[in-house]
Amino acid sequence: MRTYQVKVTRSTGIATYTVELEDRMTVLDVLFRIQWNQDSSLNFRCACRVGMCGTCAMSINRVPRLACKTRALLLDSSVIALAPLPNLPVIKDLVVSLEPFFEQWKKIRPSLNAADSAQLAVIPEDPDVSRKRDCITCGICYAACGIKATHKDYLGPAAINKAFLRIHDPRDRITKERLRVLNDEWSGVWRCHTQFNCTAACPKGIDLTDTIVRLKRSLLA
Amino acid sequence: MNDLLRKYRWQFSGMVAHLIQRITGLLLLVYLFLHVRTVHALAEGPAAFDHAVSTFSNPFFKLLEIALLGAVILHALNGVRITLLDLGLAHNRQRQLFWAWSIGVGAVIFLAGAIPMFLFAVLK
Repeated sequence: MRTYQVKVTRSTGIATYTVELEDRMTVLDVLFRIQWNQDSSLNFRCACRVGMCGTCAMSINRVPRLACKTRALLLDSSVIALAPLPNLPVIKDLVVSLEPFFEQWKKIRPSLNAADSAQLAVIPEDPDVSRKRDCITCGICYAACGIKATHKDYLGPAAINKAFLRIHDPRDRITKERLRVLNDEWSGVWRCHTQFNCTAACPKGIDLTDTIVRLKRSLLA
Repeated sequence: MNDLLRKYRWQFSGMVAHLIQRITGLLLLVYLFLHVRTVHALAEGPAAFDHAVSTFSNPFFKLLEIALLGAVILHALNGVRITLLDLGLAHNRQRQLFWAWSIGVGAVIFLAGAIPMFLFAVLK
């Protein structure tokens, strides 16, 4: 067992808790332990608890991560600083609204626009992009992006990645329209300055910067 | 286990590279204005130019020259790294490219230039 000091940025200010944890426990376990034993009013969100849903995304020691996939021991610190995800409006305590994230998501028209409904049942094999399909829309890349912090109109890495998947899908018919959205000077791919924060933070290991750089080259071709 | 965390922190080197590029870019912009202003003194005659240049002959400005060398090297090497990334080359090696190329090679070039500058310009 180790003792941690947990500093949570709540809507009312910073609250500090002392929690004892076993080495295998995650930050989500920390939050449940606080909620059960010390402060039942603490607000946070989670669902699957196994890194599939992205609901428990939050800033952990200043880095956006999934609470359920972050073991407290690996933080290498006796202090755990928890805060809501940056670049998103806070609803309460550690809970943020993903509405701005999905507003950008909608701009690239995420649904598949296939000519024939019979095509929909067959997902084309494309090993080059298959890893990029793992996105769980957790908003971590959106929160980690330094450009998103200063350009509210920027689409953000996840929406751009979704557009990339659609563009590389041979069934899709609206490539030109998607490229037009991506080519926008202020909100499109040209805002990206290859900081690689999205790639570094993505809990699914998607190389989002690679997606953006490849789209930039597609637009120039 | 700490190794895993170090690896995670190491992944954010792209942001470090971005900040270095921005900061050195701004410093070079300041230098550029100073440089143009000094060279412009030539238009007012040799005496005015000599006077403008003499301002920079004291050891403080020699130290700033060494700092300028560092800024130019970092900005140039990191610029090459960014160009390679934009061309889709060495994309999955961007961290190594930053540390080995921009910082590692940059440090060697910097020391090769900074040591003689310090010995023969600052300490003379």
